[in-house]
Amino acid sequence: MKTFLFIVIVIVSGAAAGIIHGGMNLVFVEPSLDQAIGIENQHLFATGEAEDNSEFWVEYDDYRTWQKTGQVIAGGILGVSIGSLFGIIFTFSRNTLPGKTDLKKALILAGIMWLVVYFIPFLKYPANPPTVGDPETVVLRGILYLSFIAISGFGALGFYKLSKKLKTKKFIAVAGYAAFIGIMFTVMPENPDNITAPMDLVDHFRTMSAFTVSIYWLSLGLILGSLWSHYKPHKEIPPSFN
Amino acid sequence: MSQSRQINVSKNGVPVIAIMALAIIFVAGLFVVGFDQGHIFSLVYGEEAFQDLYIHELTHDMRHAAGFPCH
Repeated sequence: MKTFLFIVIVIVSGAAAGIIHGGMNLVFVEPSLDQAIGIENQHLFATGEAEDNSEFWVEYDDYRTWQKTGQVIAGGILGVSIGSLFGIIFTFSRNTLPGKTDLKKALILAGIMWLVVYFIPFLKYPANPPTVGDPETVVLRGILYLSFIAISGFGALGFYKLSKKLKTKKFIAVAGYAAFIGIMFTVMPENPDNITAPMDLVDHFRTMSAFTVSIYWLSLGLILGSLWSHYKPHKEIPPSFN
Repeated sequence: MSQSRQINVSKNGVPVIAIMALAIIFVAGLFVVGFDQGHIFSLVYGEEAFQDLYIHELTHDMRHAAGFPCH
């Protein structure tokens, strides 16, 4: 395997998909974030923690502009991070994934990972806009969310391994995982925070958030699959270069 | 022959060093965007970093948008 090329392809695909994700968020998610932070500002004015004057708004606008550039930067970082996990799993599962081309294999794996480590955990612990989360419970919520992602991810991996041993592939793996995650879904504690923001704002935010994360996974599969097909990092280097 | 190679490879020929490097990038990146509450900068700036929350504020919008818990 061409190790350096493999790492470069994984990082470039992750960064590109992540920057696309961040850019999409600027268009689709930021309006909801601005609206939710607007509610937080009204609380600050009502409680006397801030004054509704031009000085406040100048500072606020600068701050939000900075945070919005952070959206794209963080998109790149998160993209590379998740892309690295995707690259690791892709390289180990490439030979067993269905699909004739590397692009199809990458898209299938992206779809599976989207479901297992994003969408199912999202259904249990959906994204929330600012104003919803209680700072006191942020560590607990972080542990719950990460635990559920790990349970779902390792659960899927475990049932996949089991299905290979039983040689009755897909049915056992899919049914076993579905039953397992269904039980875990009911057993795991709920998000402890009450939603105080208007529900239409929260629902719109969640829809847009799920949409752009899905675009990220699609982009990741497309870009990594295309680059892999083109550069073939799995091919051995000729012995003379070893 | 595979025994004579200098780089450790796993069963299907993937270099272990590449997997380790990507695993570190995965964990570090996820922590920075999803969970840092001043921890990383506290290594340099001490307790002050937990008040400033620089990384938290910079990644704030993505943290919400990608579904991580925030406040």
